[in-house]
Amino acid sequence: MFQNRRIGLWLLAPAAIFIALGFILPVAILLSGAFRAEDGWTLGHYLEFFAQPLNREVFWRTFRLGLIVTAVAAVVGYGVALAVVEAGPKSKGRLVALLVLPLMISPVARTYAWLVILGRTGFLNVFLTASGLVDSPLRLLFTETAVFIGLIQLFFPLMVLPLISSLENLPRDVIPAARVLGASWPAVFFKVILPLTREGLVVGGTLVFVGSLTAYVTPAILGGSKVLMLETLLYQRVSVANDFAAAAVIAVILIVMSVVTSVALKRLASVRRVKREVA
Amino acid sequence: MRGLGHLLLAAVLVFLIGPFVIICVAGLSGGETLAFPPEGLSLRWVAKVFTVESFRAAFWLSIALAFGSTAVALALGIPAAYALERYDPPGAEVVRAIVTAPIVVPGIIVGLALLRHLVIPLGIPVPLALMIGHTALLVPYAVRVVSGSLVNLRPDIEEAAVMLGASRLQAFAKVVLPNIRAGIMAAFIIGFITSFNQVPVSLFLTGPGITTLPIDMMFYMEFNYDPSVAALSGLLALMSLGVVMVAEKLLGLSRYV
Amino acid sequence: MSDFLTLERLTLGYGATIAVDSLDFAMKPGELVALLGPSGCGKTTTMRAIAGLMTPVSGRIELDGRDITRVPANRRGIGLVFQSYALFPHLTVFENVAFGLRLARVPAAQVRTRVEAALASVGLSHLADRQPKALSGGQQQRVALARSIVVEPKLLLLDEPLSNLDARLRLEMRSELARLQRELGIAMIYVTHDQAEALALADRIIVMREGRIEQAGTPEEIYERPVSGFVANFIGFENCFALRDGKLKGLAAPGFDTGTATGLAWRPNAVRLGRGAHRGTVAGASYLGQVVEYLLATPLGDVKAEVPAAAPRHAIGAEIAFDLPQDGAVVLHRD
Repeated sequence: MFQNRRIGLWLLAPAAIFIALGFILPVAILLSGAFRAEDGWTLGHYLEFFAQPLNREVFWRTFRLGLIVTAVAAVVGYGVALAVVEAGPKSKGRLVALLVLPLMISPVARTYAWLVILGRTGFLNVFLTASGLVDSPLRLLFTETAVFIGLIQLFFPLMVLPLISSLENLPRDVIPAARVLGASWPAVFFKVILPLTREGLVVGGTLVFVGSLTAYVTPAILGGSKVLMLETLLYQRVSVANDFAAAAVIAVILIVMSVVTSVALKRLASVRRVKREVA
Repeated sequence: MRGLGHLLLAAVLVFLIGPFVIICVAGLSGGETLAFPPEGLSLRWVAKVFTVESFRAAFWLSIALAFGSTAVALALGIPAAYALERYDPPGAEVVRAIVTAPIVVPGIIVGLALLRHLVIPLGIPVPLALMIGHTALLVPYAVRVVSGSLVNLRPDIEEAAVMLGASRLQAFAKVVLPNIRAGIMAAFIIGFITSFNQVPVSLFLTGPGITTLPIDMMFYMEFNYDPSVAALSGLLALMSLGVVMVAEKLLGLSRYV
Repeated sequence: MSDFLTLERLTLGYGATIAVDSLDFAMKPGELVALLGPSGCGKTTTMRAIAGLMTPVSGRIELDGRDITRVPANRRGIGLVFQSYALFPHLTVFENVAFGLRLARVPAAQVRTRVEAALASVGLSHLADRQPKALSGGQQQRVALARSIVVEPKLLLLDEPLSNLDARLRLEMRSELARLQRELGIAMIYVTHDQAEALALADRIIVMREGRIEQAGTPEEIYERPVSGFVANFIGFENCFALRDGKLKGLAAPGFDTGTATGLAWRPNAVRLGRGAHRGTVAGASYLGQVVEYLLATPLGDVKAEVPAAAPRHAIGAEIAFDLPQDGAVVLHRD
């Protein structure tokens, strides 16, 4: 756009140098530990890592919870996004502000609230025993369910915001047009809304899935050492065992999973779009 | 359909916001242990929060860290965003990838990497390392939000300023900055909150003596089951709520998240 | 009178592509020159180079006896009115106009009188406190104009200034521009793709094509004696025919010497219907109020003819004779 591209370089340099030296370099050295043996390069740390059943379990749990959280957020997210868009532009600002609130409040405070609700003497158990629905308090904390609840509360906004904006960008009147042409509500959703908002779904899905993989506070407080996820396992390996190689292996796994998911989802969305345009 | 939508929306909002109401009430407990509903209401735990020395120190460190890292991130991010949007510099894609790299790296790894390969070998003081970690995390957001505001600003108004006698720098200061002020303020608020609430990056970098508020809270609650963390959580939640409401009113913050 | 602005072998480009190739051009003080051409012809690029918003690959630009080729845009003393107006959205109309004066540290009292005078000259005194987005397109255009003239530039560049206005406003602004130019006596370069604007406003028209000057001359010269098929077409000679061996595609050129010409062109209203050496089939007819426009399919190709609406009508599909008279023809020497 402007002609003097060298000025552009000077403007970029501080940020790029700062990130490269203060961030990429130390992280790269740390990650290289996942491939380094005393006498050269190795993939042995990975074999070691996956040889342990506990690690495999944690790996699959992290992956599984990420998928479940993303799927549930997507299904509920569409409903909520449609309701928000239908509510009109005036209420929209206020509703969106409420929806993003969980992102803005300290994750420790947020997660601590679930401790008060889900604990042995917590709100939910008091309610359930008092009403006679259960005889003795349920064990709710330190379960996958508790981690799931915490994660979905945190990441739901990241799904619903892109969905809202892509629903708002729907060409006007496509839904009434489809209805007039005789489409049922499910048909309208699957044949019109879903294909046209796919980009929002991909953005939201990537954010939620990657966010769930790399969340720390929620699994740390609500899962504890009983329901370890990759991040909490990493912390444990370092703080308990000083096992930096394992930490680097977990770090590489997390980064690869994040990058692969975002690239794959992006690819998926654009490949389908090309197909549609060709057809 | 419409009724169903409203019902779902209400249920989701209760799920998202309800816990914050509960934590606020639990913090007002008059009893000795954490419970909801609380045993009577009092402000004693709220008052206690202000007397815990580690909370006080951690709070101020967190505030200073949030201010400092957000300011530096913007100082680095605004020119970078401007260069990427307006100058198409050579190697822009590489630089864009570098600048956005912190997004894909889990925070806990950042903290560990800074500790092992910056603090220990180079003797960098911990607060500075915290600052580097938080700033690195915020730069991508600063670039993204500022880029978003610049996209909506016609580049020819800068040329118009130049044709009226302004240097490129004057054109930026007098024409670009005033028009992206809302975006910059939104980026500042989001950055501040992100840093203030940040746990994973700080996890390995903090320790006895130097710690941020969220980390201190996590350690406190591991050993204490009294309502003071609930009271503090409630206070923080209300603080965030206040900031978000004001920002939404002034800037339409939700457009930038 | 000596030349006020000269471009010498000016070559401009973006990266490896050359947009303007070795352009030579001069204008006199107070002259209004129109750069006319289709999009992509290099007219806007030339204007940006004169403004200083683009560095030439090679060549020289001289303004008022001074070489400004390497002078930064903000020190050339040249004004530019943008196609999009480019008003500052955060400033009021008054502050938009005052912008250049404040940069030049003109004393506040003087700023006030000069801004007020500039706003008065474009008839916007009553809107000084408005925000730009509260103005109509025509009003924004006037603000942009006032903002450029208030700093008294040596040369004012206008980039398609009327193209975003509706037809009626465009006529109004056109006469206003003409009035301002007369009053201020300022040299102007007017970039446009609209031949009617160029003809109405300019003292001299430069027709550009693919980065080169195709023809330069007074509006009369351009309008009546286009030198090439390109200019002829652009200026409304919609019937252009190539000559082969001085002949009009096998048919004898009716009775005049074509010499070294490569083509002949007629405006639609020069074509006579009902008699003549040529025959064609009516392929279309459009009633346009004053005139009827016919499209004829002929051995020469399509011919467009415009006749008064009062003349006898021809049905679609009818075969009729027509004449391409010598006195309505222009002789083209290039395609």
